[in-house]
Amino acid sequence: MEDFRNDFRNFILDTRTLPTLPGIVSKLNSLVENSKSSLQEMARLVSSDQVISARILRLANSPSYGFYRVSTISNAMILLGVDVVKSLILSSSIFEIMENSILGLWEHSLGAGVAANIIAKRLKLQECEEISTAALLHDIGKVIIRLKLEEEYEMLLRNNEEKGTASDLIERQNFGTDHAEVGGWLAQNWNLPEKLSVPIRFHHNVDETEIHQVKASVVHMADVLIRASGFSRGGDTCVPRIQPTAWNRLGLNDSILSEIVEELEDKLVDVKNFSMEIHATDDRQT
Amino acid sequence: MQKIPFSLAQPGMILARDVIRADKPNGPPICGKGLVLTESLIERLANLEVQSITVHGNPLGIDGVKTLEEDLESLERRFRLVSDDPLAEKLKNVYRDYLVRTSGD
Repeated sequence: MEDFRNDFRNFILDTRTLPTLPGIVSKLNSLVENSKSSLQEMARLVSSDQVISARILRLANSPSYGFYRVSTISNAMILLGVDVVKSLILSSSIFEIMENSILGLWEHSLGAGVAANIIAKRLKLQECEEISTAALLHDIGKVIIRLKLEEEYEMLLRNNEEKGTASDLIERQNFGTDHAEVGGWLAQNWNLPEKLSVPIRFHHNVDETEIHQVKASVVHMADVLIRASGFSRGGDTCVPRIQPTAWNRLGLNDSILSEIVEELEDKLVDVKNFSMEIHATDDRQT
Repeated sequence: MQKIPFSLAQPGMILARDVIRADKPNGPPICGKGLVLTESLIERLANLEVQSITVHGNPLGIDGVKTLEEDLESLERRFRLVSDDPLAEKLKNVYRDYLVRTSGD
């Protein structure tokens, strides 16, 4: 079992096995570290790659952030922050795989991003964009597991669909690790800030983290809400247990929950539409 | 019938459910079901920041809206593994209330 776990670790550390990481990220990193460089310089660098710019703008305009009409990279940088833009560049290749082959997971992720945004804004939390991004990325570990195991993983999930066993439990039973841990490793390997990697790593066990627990709690609740709404499937059809730590940490109650559900259901219509539009555009292009 | 984003509303579509203000979910409906949408009505609803509407037919070509019974049944199915979790039970009740309130049946 431990072998399996190490296998995954090495799989992630071995950059050749992952979708190419854009070289633009290391250039961006050195700009970020240099305190003299301006946001404009960073935006110019990212804009120089048209494919990446298009992908970032697509995500920045997704219902997960709720700005709409973010038309330039420098706008995206101002509205979302450099950390978020950087994580979107890194994840855009993973999203590409999701969009094209795991539609259910892609829609689940977008939905979770929207849910997290609504929760964060309703609770007047800080760094809403970071929280949305963490929720958008919370299941990236599933894409990695799928990349490595392909059909084997899907068959495993399919066989358990009827029973409704949670995917993280199945993963732990079979591989000694789960998508949250794998996602956490990936985020660390990408040097994403802890405010993103911690919620990804602990969205199934919020009480195991001492830092960024509020953010992890929001991502957990966003994941639960999307499953409760029955909106698309990310390999799991059943609603998981709500972690009391997350509930208490966020100070949730019936009336807040009710307002959140109301707003979420309204927005999910947009998400469905967004995902369909993207696929229609992609179909026309290919 | 089908729930669609308001941006896709077209004159001629027929409302299948009452339209409720997004900022006053428990308030009175601002438009009754059965009404046929017109240009001016769409404009007025847009001014009230309506986000989505439910209309007759299947204009988006995706799954239509299900009946309340079907919705409640799949809600129970999704929550079947957590019936002993009081917090999940709360969430289920919130969802059940939402489905009943917005069904317009």
